Amino acid sequence: MSETDKVLIKGNYAIAQAAVNAGCQCYFGYPITPQTEIGEYLSGKMQELRRGYVCAESELAAINMVIGAVSTGVKAMTSSSSCAVALMQEALSYAASDELPVVLVNVMRAGPGLGYIYPAQGDYNQSVYGGGNGDYKIIVLAPSTVQECIDLTYKSFYLAHKYKNPVILLADGLLGQMMEPASFGEYPYPEIDNSSWALTGAKGRNSRAIYSCARDEKKQIEHINHLFEKFELISKNETSWEEFETDDADIILTAFGSMTRNIKAAMKVLREKGIKAGCFRPITLSPFPHKRINELGKQGKDFIVVEMNMGQMFKDVKYAVNGESKTELVNRPVGEWLKVEEIVSAVEKITEKSYAASI
Amino acid sequence: MEKNFILAGFGGQGILLAGTILANAFMLDDKNVTWYPCYGAEMRGGTVNCEVVVSDTEVSSVHKQNCDYALVLNQQSFDRFINNVKTGGTIVANSTLVSEAKPRNDIQYVFAPMGDLANSLGTSKVTNVVSLGVLSSVIDIISKDALKLGIEKVLGEKKKDLLPLNIKALEAGAELVSCAKL
Repeated sequence: MSETDKVLIKGNYAIAQAAVNAGCQCYFGYPITPQTEIGEYLSGKMQELRRGYVCAESELAAINMVIGAVSTGVKAMTSSSSCAVALMQEALSYAASDELPVVLVNVMRAGPGLGYIYPAQGDYNQSVYGGGNGDYKIIVLAPSTVQECIDLTYKSFYLAHKYKNPVILLADGLLGQMMEPASFGEYPYPEIDNSSWALTGAKGRNSRAIYSCARDEKKQIEHINHLFEKFELISKNETSWEEFETDDADIILTAFGSMTRNIKAAMKVLREKGIKAGCFRPITLSPFPHKRINELGKQGKDFIVVEMNMGQMFKDVKYAVNGESKTELVNRPVGEWLKVEEIVSAVEKITEKSYAASI
Repeated sequence: MEKNFILAGFGGQGILLAGTILANAFMLDDKNVTWYPCYGAEMRGGTVNCEVVVSDTEVSSVHKQNCDYALVLNQQSFDRFINNVKTGGTIVANSTLVSEAKPRNDIQYVFAPMGDLANSLGTSKVTNVVSLGVLSSVIDIISKDALKLGIEKVLGEKKKDLLPLNIKALEAGAELVSCAKL
């Protein structure tokens, strides 16, 4: 990254400009704090570039407009926040079944219900397990820095089109609102050929239809098996994570998104205090790096999951560890991120307790 | 080395912009830096603040309980953040709107009539930039020249005509407090 192309930019604006660079042709959205800057930025930019922008009448309309747009093979997205993303779950289930490259950015705020505008990480389950009906899977990417807001926005468009699968970019209010130096570079992925399925008018070819209505049980079974085989492939190819100092670690602090910064700082403090801590963070929440976590568990490393919800990712870590080592949760439901000192003292309490239990 | 700033004032005093300039200055100085605003129901006339963290290595956390330096432009902000300054830290206050009381004896105080100076330059709108000038004269980790680059970057080509006034405000602010760097 050269120094000259570095800009100090908000996560929200970074996501918006990255979408532009990725070739997003249409944006549909409805304002909601803490992600309104995405729509604000694109309202001007898309017009300038003669691309599509609609401030929709509701979130429900916005996500269905995205479905319409991506059906024609173009790149399109919407962005929203927690309680409004809840309104979009039906459409996500449709998009997953229709195999459409929908890109949805969720800049999480506090829930449940209307909640409030301060940051939180309470939509892990909503994103990873989905609020829509039926068996389907979404690709979920969790950026931890403003630079990653850019990199993973690029990746969202690429993966959505590569696998014809909806992608959620799961950011949070802190990341959306904060500024940090970052650089855009160019969209690094190849363009995907959509000509075999996109609805582009049937002139000179047989007509096509995209629909999720299944009147034939056998075909529906085949379809769902196909969706899950596809996701197996996605798991194999695209599961990604980051590890810090896990080699000699006794305990591994685990977090996703912008909390990663805090656990890395806590790791350093703990190491100074003689506790061998490492860090692990999934970049793809779905597919989740089960296999790697299990390997680390088998090496006897305990996991402490730090998150801003009631333990949503904790369940996945526990499932991945599968009893090979201990798993503990350090959390707060919503609001101010757990501070480095708070994480350190919580970890110290846990390690003291487990030491006491072992003698 | 990691240091953090809280900048606070009335909505409309340009405190988020001051933080943005400061953060840009650090970025141009090749430091790791983050800027995080209070966001939400704040409105013109209410208090608004942002936090800037600068570090030689990766910033440890964006939002902290206490700060090394507080820059406050009104009384409400002084009252709200005086207890969030770390022992040995510094609070830099706009004495045009903040009374010169020193309720704690474990921190350092800098009072300067930033608002009055801005008015004498023709507009109270540059109080924020004056305050950055004051800040640069009393602490070591940010220089006036770095802030100049920050202002240039933030104004960009579009608002280049505002550059001379802002540089003047920065210079005047830097000379406002005669004491040497703390």
